[in-house]
Amino acid sequence: MNRIFSVFRKSLAPKVIISTLVLCLGVIYVAGSALNSQLSAGIKKVNLQSTIIEANSTIFSAQYRFLLAQGSKNTAVKKVIDDIISSTTSLTSNENAREVVFLKSPGNSRKINYEITSNLVDPKSIPESLSKKTRKNIDYAFGYMTIHYVNGSRIAGLAVGQKVTIPNAGQYEMYILYSLVNQNTTLKLIQSYLLLTGLFLIILIGLITWLVVRQVVRPVRQAALIATQFTAGNFSERMNVRSEDEISTLSNAFNEMAESLEKQIARLENLSRVQQRFVSDVSHELRTPLTTLRMASEIINSARDGFDPMLARSSELMVAQLDRFERLLEDLLEISRFDAEVAVLDAVDFDLVELANRCADDLALVAKERSTELRMYAIAETITIKADIRRVERILRNLFSNAIDHAEEKPVAVTIVASDHDVAIGVRDFGIGLDESTLMRVFDRFWRADPSRARTRGGTGLGLSIALEDARLHNGELEAWGRPGKGAHFVLTLPRQVGTHVTARLIKLQPDDFYE
Amino acid sequence: MTLVMVVDDDQDLSEMLGIVLTGAGIDVDLVSRGDEALEVFRNNPPDLVLLDVMLPGLDGIEVCRLIRAESMVPIIMLSAKGDSHDVVRGLEAGADDYMVKPFKHPSELVARIRTRLRRTNTEISGLLSIADLAIDVTAHQVQRAGKQIALTRLEFDLLVALAKEPGRVFSRDALLSEVWGYRHSTDTRLVNVHVQRLRAKIEHDPERPEIVVTVRGVGYKAGVMGGS
Repeated sequence: MNRIFSVFRKSLAPKVIISTLVLCLGVIYVAGSALNSQLSAGIKKVNLQSTIIEANSTIFSAQYRFLLAQGSKNTAVKKVIDDIISSTTSLTSNENAREVVFLKSPGNSRKINYEITSNLVDPKSIPESLSKKTRKNIDYAFGYMTIHYVNGSRIAGLAVGQKVTIPNAGQYEMYILYSLVNQNTTLKLIQSYLLLTGLFLIILIGLITWLVVRQVVRPVRQAALIATQFTAGNFSERMNVRSEDEISTLSNAFNEMAESLEKQIARLENLSRVQQRFVSDVSHELRTPLTTLRMASEIINSARDGFDPMLARSSELMVAQLDRFERLLEDLLEISRFDAEVAVLDAVDFDLVELANRCADDLALVAKERSTELRMYAIAETITIKADIRRVERILRNLFSNAIDHAEEKPVAVTIVASDHDVAIGVRDFGIGLDESTLMRVFDRFWRADPSRARTRGGTGLGLSIALEDARLHNGELEAWGRPGKGAHFVLTLPRQVGTHVTARLIKLQPDDFYE
Repeated sequence: MTLVMVVDDDQDLSEMLGIVLTGAGIDVDLVSRGDEALEVFRNNPPDLVLLDVMLPGLDGIEVCRLIRAESMVPIIMLSAKGDSHDVVRGLEAGADDYMVKPFKHPSELVARIRTRLRRTNTEISGLLSIADLAIDVTAHQVQRAGKQIALTRLEFDLLVALAKEPGRVFSRDALLSEVWGYRHSTDTRLVNVHVQRLRAKIEHDPERPEIVVTVRGVGYKAGVMGGS
């Protein structure tokens, strides 16, 4: 049952066909019944009229013969009655059987009894109501009834009765019974033909509806199919347009939409290519002079011992600023690569603990300068993962140096936890911390926690946003937690196998050591 | 005196490179067009080639391929793009090493050049054998069944590094420091590409290497043929 409903919900064609059929069935039923009742009423009326005329003439001739037999002997009268019966009932087949019944009228006290029925018809077949009408009417009376035979068979019939006076026997009622088998057969035939016509019409209408619906639904189905292909990235499919009706308007509109989409996408792809090209060109154009500059500055700087103090300091500053300029350029290029979606993952197997230790070692000197240190807590001695080592290293360096920058001379705790599928690194500092609004913007580009703070480490302001993009490229997550004065907690979660997704958060973002 | 051929279209950078290298006691031959590089190389064969990727006339990668086709001279590519695609293409064309502009320090460049020029493995000498290869460390020659196999100096160093301790697994980082002289590099592509090239020359079936064997998740080791 549910399956049937779901077919209805999912497809337009059965819905339209079924509802059309149900409505047509109603219309055909009403029309058919009206036609049937009209036809049968007409047939019955015509039949009745002819029957009554015939019955009247038969009864009239019987009356006439009884009149002629006035004064005859009983045997002659009996013969007349037999004649009447045989002449009336002869020449009839079973279907149009005509029977005659003579009944003695009540009140007729003559001894002689001519009550008779033809062909063993039970005299009780004549209903009481008809008898009454016959007696009351001067003229004839008629009524529909059932003809009972003595042998038990019964057929539908029509009785016409009139009073007759039989010589020597007084008043009788003469009934002529007509079988309605024929008429009923005709009526049944008409009914079955009507039913057949109705059925045929229903099937025809169903077929026509199906054809029409198919004509409408087919383009819709095609449109849906093509739209699916669009989703899959195939933009070359188009709908067939064969006529100028609404469907073709739909098809045309759809095709135009497809065309415009394809163009837009091509334009965007082209833009992306242009962007990629631009990035690569800027990269080349800027790097070459920067290389020359750096080499020149290094040579100048290496000779600074012979310079006077101002010149020596200037050359130092030049070298430092070139460093910064280069870092900024690198970060900007990386960001534009992310924006152009051309960043690629170069995944290799490596030991995350070893990498984290190496990053920590590299930053140990900086940490020492700031009277802090990185303390590593790894769940295992080696945790092998498959990821882009360059990017993971960049994330770790960013998080570590960020924590050192804000640690306020308190140690920074680095936790590494791994499961079969995921690996997580938490970097917890107990320094100045972050407030709500800062947390929201901590991954924004060129955003700094405190503008008044000296940019002592010369960060580019792009570190955390690049770290976030790097994490996302791995289907990983990078989240930040912080409270003013209570420090901050950055948690990086990565799938251990590149290409898969993170299945569980192994480190809670809100640190266990913190209570609200 | 050592001669380095510098192929770069940026005149200022070329001049600067000349100053730095001359200061380090290295002679330089400056070429500014890719299509002129091969001729200069043939006329005055250098000890090492510094080759920019983007060159007018002929692409640096193409130049690299042409030089490698006729010489085993060390080649260092200079790439302005940090693009891994470019780097890998250069390495596959036969470059031994690459440097991304801008270099951190001029001394870094000089150090790289010296690494590529120095005679490595001075601590061992004589003959090594691994699988069916006979390695003459002193003469810088590799032979299989008396037939010489031509290897670049870097490929030779890589093979010797692995072969001197057969069965020991070297991580890619260890190889980078041993062969390339990098202290902390994470660019394992360098190792991967050169291992491929070395295999192409020495393995019977480079698709199923038996001499330089990959140890999944760790690195490489020199296998003993027929053995593990």
